[in-house]
Amino acid sequence: MSWILPEGASLDFEGLEAPLQIIRGLGGGTQGQVYEVDLEGERLALKWYLPACIARDGGLERRLVASIRATAPNEDFLWPIALLRVSPASRPLIRLRQESFGYLMPLRPPAYVGASEHAAGRLAIGLRQVLRACFGLADAFHALHLAGLCYKDVSLGNLFLEPGGGSILICDNDNVAVDGADHGAVLGTPGFMAPEVLLGQARPGADSDLFSLAVLLFRLLTRHDPLKGQMELAIRCLDEPARRRLCGEDPVFIFDPVDDRNRPDPIEHVAALITWPIYPRPLQALFEQTFCRGMKQPSRRALTGQWKQELARTLDRRALCPACGQENFQASGAPALCWSCASPLPEPITLVLPHGAVLAAPDNELHPHHFDALAGEDLRRPLARVVAHPQDPRRLGLRNLQAAAWSAETPDGRVQPVQPGESCSLAALARIHTPAGPIAVQRPTRPSPAA
Amino acid sequence: MPFPDVKLANRPLHFLYLCDCSGSMAASGKMQALNQAIRQSLPGMAAVARDNPEARVLVRAVRFADHAAWHIESPTPVDQLEWRDLQAGGITAMGEALKLVAAALQTPPMEVRALPPVLVLISDGQPTDDFAAGLEALLRVPWAQKAVRLAIALGHDADLEVLQRFIGTEPATSGRSPRRPLQASNATSLAQYIQWASTAVVGAASMPASRVSETPLEPAAGNIPLPDLPPTVLDPTDDVGPLVW
Ligand SMILES: Nc1ncnc2c1ncn2[C@@H]1O[C@H](COP(=O)(O)OP(=O)(O)O)[C@@H](O)[C@H]1O
Ligand SMILES: [Mg+2]
Repeated sequence: MSWILPEGASLDFEGLEAPLQIIRGLGGGTQGQVYEVDLEGERLALKWYLPACIARDGGLERRLVASIRATAPNEDFLWPIALLRVSPASRPLIRLRQESFGYLMPLRPPAYVGASEHAAGRLAIGLRQVLRACFGLADAFHALHLAGLCYKDVSLGNLFLEPGGGSILICDNDNVAVDGADHGAVLGTPGFMAPEVLLGQARPGADSDLFSLAVLLFRLLTRHDPLKGQMELAIRCLDEPARRRLCGEDPVFIFDPVDDRNRPDPIEHVAALITWPIYPRPLQALFEQTFCRGMKQPSRRALTGQWKQELARTLDRRALCPACGQENFQASGAPALCWSCASPLPEPITLVLPHGAVLAAPDNELHPHHFDALAGEDLRRPLARVVAHPQDPRRLGLRNLQAAAWSAETPDGRVQPVQPGESCSLAALARIHTPAGPIAVQRPTRPSPAA
Repeated sequence: MPFPDVKLANRPLHFLYLCDCSGSMAASGKMQALNQAIRQSLPGMAAVARDNPEARVLVRAVRFADHAAWHIESPTPVDQLEWRDLQAGGITAMGEALKLVAAALQTPPMEVRALPPVLVLISDGQPTDDFAAGLEALLRVPWAQKAVRLAIALGHDADLEVLQRFIGTEPATSGRSPRRPLQASNATSLAQYIQWASTAVVGAASMPASRVSETPLEPAAGNIPLPDLPPTVLDPTDDVGPLVW
């Protein structure tokens, strides 16, 4: 890589009190190069634009200034912090003849890896973490859209995942603009672009974000592309005109309940066929809504709030197969078979809450939105977590993550306190009273096949 | 529990170097510069291949001097590639090289389904054999018609007209363009062009990059919108005086 900024050098920028040290180049893309930098002991990232990119995108500087002033919609965005222009004294150190500028943003911590690592199957990650990442993505776009903004270039390349916990970071926020207001240069990334944008019939905005968001969620959940089925196999050379046909002129969802022209191929598209049935019907329905009716009618696409709700509910329905340990997402009531090993799944203990129900499986969590109808779904501050007993993993308990004690009630009416950080055994309890609200412990009505 | 271990559907992306190894390449260290440029570009190319799970990037190379021959014959995944140095000596059998590539792009051995191949022709002189016949044979093959064809001219003796015929129609607008031969007048610019072809172009051909409205969906060579050429980054070693060919 030929770096535009000299690695190791200290540069002075207009408006910055202290010099900025260029630690090292991190990578280069189509728009510019990104560096790790040090500002008075703090590590940050600096994106420096290529002159061709600045020349092409007249609104770039204005958008950046507006974003910096507006601040990030939530903490999952690597949001611009300051626009930088080099001082006259440091100008000769920049290895470009033309004028250019850049912006500072938070540095991505090393635990976060590019989402394409997951798409490629190179990441050790569980279904719970993938669903949490999907929720985080929907939540971030919810905050962005509620602020009246749109992102415009949703793609696998702009998302980072932390595989251990499923948290996310969104980079490349320089196309963000007020929805409908700005005519920025970017159109999106083919494969993620809404058909109307790909065909040049609309500019990218919040509605096309909803399409791209659904594609990205589908790719994270299935490791497959929602439009790559038989119709893609019929294409010999997958070039630009072919992509335009597949994703713009005649796009057909591979699981369209009515139009079956683009079904996955049992050999080539096995990823989609294995993963899609894992997910509960209401979650599948949001994809159908976006990729069937919403394909041509942008206003019919599933909204960020709907995604948040269904993704959070899916996590609430998580149960582990007693035979193979794989994660399943059980519909309430109906007896089910494990998607992985086909063993029958026992009816689980259910925690019934004022707003919703959570199955008792290790790591499942209760959140404020389970108790408060007005609280939006948020997974950041759990109030309780299901834990397996250290000696006997089949015995499940509920850990108090709140700052105040709970009182746990057995079926015969005896009451005992559960201090913060302590767990109570679910097998022995009928009800738990917490400062957030009551938890009713519902045991299976039919005996589990294992018992 | 781990996410289901499912295979991602992907397509091969064939990347072919066609390298001039004629005697003139021995002058002023051009052969060494080309070997270095390709070797240095491989880690970046491997990184792009990693980031594009939809593509299986496979590299081959043809050398041509008195005759054309495979330098790397079997399509090799880029992370397994070891670049053996090319040696200069002989005349410039460029037409024969095109015929060799034409045969390789027939189906079979080419897969039925693939991404557009990328062909990079590098030369410092004029063909000494029947270039026109070679080009005709190449362009009869559908995969060659679909291919992204790029050319790098080394120094001032390269035959720009021949290289332009390899690429296809010259763009109407003037100035530097990937649809014209890229003129490398020293080792630094050669390395930049090789790096650009093996990273930015491979990226564009395998998984589409962000589109901006001013680089419209106009059909480019091989029907892939080509990325911007690398910016002319001023060489910090300029004062040492780069070797100009
Ligand atoms: N805040 C950041 N911290 C660390 N690395 C980053 C950050 N932002 C971008 N990068 C890395 O820099 C490279 C180029 O970034 P990107 O902004 O996507 O370029 P482009 O938009 O030009 O394609 C990528 O490898 C990306 O992972
Ligand atoms: Mg980017």
